[in-house]
Amino acid sequence: MNATAKHKDAQPLGDLAETLSRLLKNTVFRLSLVGAVLFGGSLLVAQLIVYDTIVSSELRRIEEGLKNELSELEVIFQSGGDAELLAAQQSGILPQNASDINLEQVALARAIFDAGARERTSRYVTLRDVSPDIYSMFVFKGAAVGKLVTEDIQTLGMASKDLPQFDRSSSLIWEKAIATVENPETGDVEERRISAVGLVIGKEGQIDEPPDGVLFVGRDVENIMRTGERMRSAMTTSSLIALFLGILSSIFVARRFARRVDSLNQLANDVQAGHLDRRAPRNYSEDEMDRLAEHLNGMLDHIDRLMKAMRYAGDSVAHDLRTPLTRLRTRLETAAVEAGDKPEADVLYAAASDADQLLKTFDSVLRIARLEAGERRELLKPLDPKPILDDLAELYEPACDDVGITFTHHIDKGLMIMADRGLLSQAVSNLVENAIKYTPVDMDGEAGSGRIHLSAKKSPRGRVRIAVADDGPGIPKFDRERVKERFVRLDKSRTKPGSGLGLALVDAVAELHQAELIMDDGLGADAVIAGQDDHEGRPGLKVELVFPRVKARKADPEATTAQTDKLT
Amino acid sequence: MKILVVEDDEVAAEYVKKGLSEAGHVVDLAADGDTALEMAGAADYDAVILDRMLPKRDGLEVLSNMRENGNATPVLILSALGETDHKVEGLRAGGDDYLAKPYSFTELLARVEAIGRRSDPTAAVTKLKVGDLEMDLLARTVRRAGQKVLLQPREFRLLECLMRNAGRVVTRTMLLEKVWDYHFDPQTNVIDVHISRLRGKIDKEFETPLLHTVRGAGYRLQP
Repeated sequence: MNATAKHKDAQPLGDLAETLSRLLKNTVFRLSLVGAVLFGGSLLVAQLIVYDTIVSSELRRIEEGLKNELSELEVIFQSGGDAELLAAQQSGILPQNASDINLEQVALARAIFDAGARERTSRYVTLRDVSPDIYSMFVFKGAAVGKLVTEDIQTLGMASKDLPQFDRSSSLIWEKAIATVENPETGDVEERRISAVGLVIGKEGQIDEPPDGVLFVGRDVENIMRTGERMRSAMTTSSLIALFLGILSSIFVARRFARRVDSLNQLANDVQAGHLDRRAPRNYSEDEMDRLAEHLNGMLDHIDRLMKAMRYAGDSVAHDLRTPLTRLRTRLETAAVEAGDKPEADVLYAAASDADQLLKTFDSVLRIARLEAGERRELLKPLDPKPILDDLAELYEPACDDVGITFTHHIDKGLMIMADRGLLSQAVSNLVENAIKYTPVDMDGEAGSGRIHLSAKKSPRGRVRIAVADDGPGIPKFDRERVKERFVRLDKSRTKPGSGLGLALVDAVAELHQAELIMDDGLGADAVIAGQDDHEGRPGLKVELVFPRVKARKADPEATTAQTDKLT
Repeated sequence: MKILVVEDDEVAAEYVKKGLSEAGHVVDLAADGDTALEMAGAADYDAVILDRMLPKRDGLEVLSNMRENGNATPVLILSALGETDHKVEGLRAGGDDYLAKPYSFTELLARVEAIGRRSDPTAAVTKLKVGDLEMDLLARTVRRAGQKVLLQPREFRLLECLMRNAGRVVTRTMLLEKVWDYHFDPQTNVIDVHISRLRGKIDKEFETPLLHTVRGAGYRLQP
């Protein structure tokens, strides 16, 4: 988390992309996002239903009304429409010659037609001639003055001025038109939408000929259309807001949930690292996460109890076994001291050291068991292995020299591993002692007969490899896994002192450090391949501890100084 | 030295008492935690040998109680629990040294004498002297009979540890712990080799040897 926070300033975009991709990986986020989209969608559907109920049905109602009015007008016109038209022309308001009508100037045939139609229908009826040959009638309800623009009327191509009767055979013509309406009080001009329905006027059976005219009945639908528009935009906005809020809440829920999952993941990590006392935080809400935490805690309690029982059993056995053995050892020692220079003293000292050996073995078994339980993983600290390995080299170099083994070491500087100093020392010490034990020594102790090399270096992949190589007999490939097990000793080494626990302990230490224990041919391998005599087919053995990369973190300076302090 | 031995195992306690008495110390025994706490408070001991597993009161509890009461008597913790973490626990609780069972008696004696001496005010010296062997802790120089002896840093520390415990046995395990800070026993005779090198430097050209090997126990520096 720290690392991302540091990069935030440098790469805000990369960070955003990272956050997004992390969010998309989050199951809860994905689920609640789907939920949000579904919610937004259903909200939209619900609003469409409301829209349809209110606006569309109103429009349908208006259309229905228009059709009724049209039928009424049809009756009026059938009884004298033509006459009224003629009257209009005669009164001079509608020109005799239809071609003289200026569409822009004439306020249409309103007054005349009005005069006839108004009394009977209480409607404003506007007759409009759009061309010398074609006229159509518009009947408005509500608007006093209006200019109606329709484009489709001309396409009807009506030729005759006669309006004998309505042609019932042709269907109704539905028009959407725009009227420029002037408010007589304020003088404001506005364009209002008109819904109109028209009936073709023509002679019966005149199907093939162009119709004489169209009677239109219109109704101002501006208000309802505006309502519809407002509703549509409200619907869009509210759906978008719902979607946005949904996404926000998904993020919120996901993060909240992720935090709780993260806390459980962190717990698992801690427990794996040996902190068996950690427990999952609970909020006692009894929800799934809380119950999961409760179960995890119960499980950890149980594991803890088992571990304690195991430790207690181990400690008790240790105590019960060691007390009598201590007595045994003390008795032998006292007897040895009392024996003084008598030959029995040797036997007694040997017996005491056998008792020591027995207890050391017992100790090692207990120690391996504890290492395998991972109890001490929390002790691991980032440290440079060089001082530790140099110390070990310094400790063993003279001892090797004494028995005629050439001990060399090469430890790279500036390496970093997560380790416990004591355990690392012990593991490498075990490896070196194994090497000393199996490296051949000339009886006369001549130097140069055997070689041991201790090294530490960084692999290309950044892992630190600590290796102890010798030129002893080595271990055949098929035995290499087996020798890591407890009490396993190869036939060849039965005669040597040892308990068969050395490598098992190293393996346990490696496991605790999450390091790999790798065995390979050692220093004699090249000589064996080259067929040189002086190695008698001894490839030697190289045992490597390969430590995982330490995540970029500075070594704790206190830890290192504390270690050095202890030395002095 | 006046030593209090807290040990619930009678046989072991008697052995320890016998051994310490033979080495010239005055020994009192306590068999449980309560008695131990009472006795440690009542008399002025030079050192306490304290078993960790005790009836009535755990050894560590006795120790922390002692320390809370302002009792600074050096304490050697003795226990079957030889694991390093247990050692750390014991030392944190205020112990001065830790010895795991089974111990050899010489090891116990050497350690108890070493901690008992620590309360000696002369511990903060800058010069150490054993016979004609002199060590200057500030200048980091060593002379024998006025003649300069050149030592490696580790050899210097080895010799310092021996000189601080001059006249007393220092075991191999003690040397490993105090000079190398290793809490495990190597199988090989690594310490012997280092001692023999040191011996080559301080004893070889002189008539009287100072560095003696004590059979079955360890080493002793003595004129």
